Amino acid sequence: MYLDNPQQLIDWHDKIIAKQKKIKKKILVCCGPGCLANGAQDIIERFKTVLKEKKISGFTVDALKETGCHGFCEQGPLVVIEPKGLYYTKVKVKDVEDIIEQSIKNDKTIDRLLYNDPQTDKKIEKYQDINFYSHQKKIVLNNLGNINQCNIEDYIANDGYQALSKALTSMSPQRVIDTVTKSGLRGRGGAGFPTGRKWATCRNVESDVHYVICNGDEGDPGAFMDRALMEGDPFSVLEGMTIAAFAVGAKQGYIYVREEYPLAVVNLQKAIEIAHENGLLGDNILGTDFSFNIKISRGAGAFVCGESSALMKSVAGEVGEPRAKYIRSVIKGLYDKPTVLNNVETFANVPIIIRKGASWYNKIGTPKNSGTKAFSLVGKVRNTGLIEVAMGTTLREIIYDIGGGIIDGRPFKAVQTGGPSGGCLPASKLDLPVDFDSLKEAGSMMGSGGMIVMDDRTCMVDVAKYFLGFLVNESCGKCVPCREGLYQLHALTVKVSEGKAEEADLEKMEKLSEMVIIGSLCGLGKSGPNPLLSTIKYFRDEYMAHIRDKRCPAGVCRALITYKITDACTGCMACIAPCPTHAITGKKNERHVLDQKLCTKCGACFAVCRYDAILVS
Amino acid sequence: MNYRFIVRPNLCTGCRSCELACSFTHSIDNIRGLTRIYPLDGGFKDLWVPVTCLQCEDPACVKSCLVDALRLNPNTGAVELNQDICVHCMACVAACPFGCSIFDEQHDMIVKCDLCGGDPACAHFCPTKALEWKPIEVKKKKVAI
Amino acid sequence: MVNLTINGRIVQAKEGEMLLTVLRREKIDVPALCHHDAVEPFGACRLCTVEITKEDWNGHSNYVTSCLYPVEEGLIVSTHSPKVNELRKTILDLFLARHPNSPEVRQLAADYGVLKTSYETVVDGNNCILCGICTRICDAMGFHAISTVGRGHGKEVAPPLHQVPPDCVGCLACAKNCPTHYIEYIFDNNYLTIWDKKFELMTCSRCGKKTITKEFAEYLSKNRDIPISYFEICDECHRKELAATMGQITSWEREA
Repeated sequence: MYLDNPQQLIDWHDKIIAKQKKIKKKILVCCGPGCLANGAQDIIERFKTVLKEKKISGFTVDALKETGCHGFCEQGPLVVIEPKGLYYTKVKVKDVEDIIEQSIKNDKTIDRLLYNDPQTDKKIEKYQDINFYSHQKKIVLNNLGNINQCNIEDYIANDGYQALSKALTSMSPQRVIDTVTKSGLRGRGGAGFPTGRKWATCRNVESDVHYVICNGDEGDPGAFMDRALMEGDPFSVLEGMTIAAFAVGAKQGYIYVREEYPLAVVNLQKAIEIAHENGLLGDNILGTDFSFNIKISRGAGAFVCGESSALMKSVAGEVGEPRAKYIRSVIKGLYDKPTVLNNVETFANVPIIIRKGASWYNKIGTPKNSGTKAFSLVGKVRNTGLIEVAMGTTLREIIYDIGGGIIDGRPFKAVQTGGPSGGCLPASKLDLPVDFDSLKEAGSMMGSGGMIVMDDRTCMVDVAKYFLGFLVNESCGKCVPCREGLYQLHALTVKVSEGKAEEADLEKMEKLSEMVIIGSLCGLGKSGPNPLLSTIKYFRDEYMAHIRDKRCPAGVCRALITYKITDACTGCMACIAPCPTHAITGKKNERHVLDQKLCTKCGACFAVCRYDAILVS
Repeated sequence: MNYRFIVRPNLCTGCRSCELACSFTHSIDNIRGLTRIYPLDGGFKDLWVPVTCLQCEDPACVKSCLVDALRLNPNTGAVELNQDICVHCMACVAACPFGCSIFDEQHDMIVKCDLCGGDPACAHFCPTKALEWKPIEVKKKKVAI
Repeated sequence: MVNLTINGRIVQAKEGEMLLTVLRREKIDVPALCHHDAVEPFGACRLCTVEITKEDWNGHSNYVTSCLYPVEEGLIVSTHSPKVNELRKTILDLFLARHPNSPEVRQLAADYGVLKTSYETVVDGNNCILCGICTRICDAMGFHAISTVGRGHGKEVAPPLHQVPPDCVGCLACAKNCPTHYIEYIFDNNYLTIWDKKFELMTCSRCGKKTITKEFAEYLSKNRDIPISYFEICDECHRKELAATMGQITSWEREA
């Protein structure tokens, strides 16, 4: 319904709430990236089909909702029944009829679908009681998993667009900026620059045109927070951008979405159209004289285009190469006009801050790091998924209380934060609070929120090699320190992993890293050596093992390990077929033989063996 | 400006002092530069014409330069070539209808008369005043014959 | 006007001027391979990096490329500090690893004391240092015939789709300004070949000397309002023509 004035928004909100009160039960099916990959779409279709057939009284198909990422990706596909909060995990298509019969038609719980707490070995009914959730503080991800992604009524029911209405009707642009400044919001893309200050600087530049851009490029491997927000709660991003545009004086905005997120583009586009239809975007928003339009700009598969100046060139249709930022983009950005560029999560925080006030937001987190941060917790933890915690939460709490500790009870080795710009921290740093500043001192950074947990089977040299290889591929190639320097650093880590390096090479890597850091043009190069430097700092012994002893303690670097079949072999022949080079021979019930000359150390036999008969040394 | 460059072919003896002066004044690293002034056969007995840049009001060389390396110096009235900007494409050499933008092979650069920045050496050395750097009251710049 | 300190000496400069311009004016030699005054500064080679600080920075330093850094009041610049020297050496060292056969690179590296690379030599290293001067000049002149293609270590300078560039007019500005003389071109009788494109050359109708390409002459004639006839005579013959014309006029004067 087209909103001509703010009062209509309030009326609409009240009408929706009243309508929703009539719904006795809601089925929420998680359609976040993880669950979608696991078949959530089929589950939705099955629900629709069965519900149409069954015609349950007091329940319509409208109460079935596709939602964004609920967070516990490890346990997906997820189905939540509200208002009870009943939480079903690892749901399959064939469970759908059962769920409808037992939990919708009746009020029964299906035990076999409940989450089983590994520590207590008890089943938990409600997700709020699961450790993974109870230790989180969901603010910016609050809507995710609870609303249908592109349903504006769901968004409004959750107080959506009230912040925009408040800003447009009872606040001045300067007051909006002051509120954001007072809240202490810092850029969630990784740099942590005070958002209010950025907006203030941009606003103060005299120009006929100002721009607002949302950075949805999210290039860090292992990070999917922004993806979940763009796909699962697109209106929050739009509302945040619109408030920013009002504060800064912009009439045109862009959302730069990386090419690898087609669903985010679809959902954002849908949300933009719906917002237009309802007078919440475009000309005369909510009947005021403020107009703002948003266009989606797609990336083309380049990590470097997440860098703000490269992103702006890409939006302008030019080659995505960064430029020196001695003249900052808030002053001269897109098309040389003053531009505010913020991350998806930063924008999603804005409506909440305006609605609930700066002091409310400030109380969360720590003095210089207010609010919360979304993380994608991945790697060797039991509970992988999308989480949100207050700033200042320690690594230990995240990895153990929320993450549930290391899989198979193996020892914790390191946690990598901040993607290719960040570093690895060892067990001794587990009690560090996670925020913009504390991790930097230890040699890492919080970054945009990727958190990769590693156990003793991870080789830190291999990790450094991986990240350097990634950056060599993604470097734009404009400046010499990054293009050639990272290339040579990568070559040196390859040398180490192959046992061909000398002790002098370690010092060479450290010195070259320092030069790459001071000489590079943009953040990609400047922070590129961080994974290498942090792993050398905390795991120097491991590097020395590779260099001096030609040994890979974690058993990863192929040139330095051998696979052997031990006495535990039962002759089950399970490993013979998977071997790509036919290196394993043997008859049934006879101990198999592995020909070292043919072995490529791919690990296929190791993965398949049920008797732990493959030894990697 | 207060001066104009006057050329009187009638007085030119073809002694080529101007050529020498120009060449030496534009030396770089002790290697003489290419002369920007050429006393040439006028086609009649005892008639020489010192050919040099006419500092046109609508210079073809300026129009031909795609990187804006040729600009009028308002103090001297000369069209000057900025060597740092010049990209050696030879457009001005080909475009000048008087052949006064020239390629100095020894120094590997394109050169043209810049009136020596306001005190042309050739006029200084010309024994017959066929070349004169004359002060004027009127604010007009023309090369008179 | 702003006051700044460079290597301990107080220097004046125009506000907003790039630091490299000031350094050059003060005759301070700082290498800048990707710099060319015909185009905007690029900041690719990083050789012109200098160390800067200010009094209120509490001893903290920043490293910036002087070609792109606008001067400020109170800036304190060090052009050859230990870290800067180390950076330059490292860059030249990296260059040597990738371009071992370029005499220009070897000479510049030797000037900074780097005689041999300490890194792995890149197997397919050619002499293109990816300074971007050629492509930027081509763009500045309005042709956009070549550009940098690809990303990262595989980046190269090439015409669109690695085919004969339709927009190239054979002005040779790219080849003439390449710091390592990497771009090849061949003069052969009436023709010039560059980027695999063959161009016919304008021939002086008086003496037969070859000047610029026909395409370049036609481009200039069409787009810069210059009669095409200007390009049909070489500079030497133009001078002779001017002498003849002036001579004729003078002879009338003498008769009179």
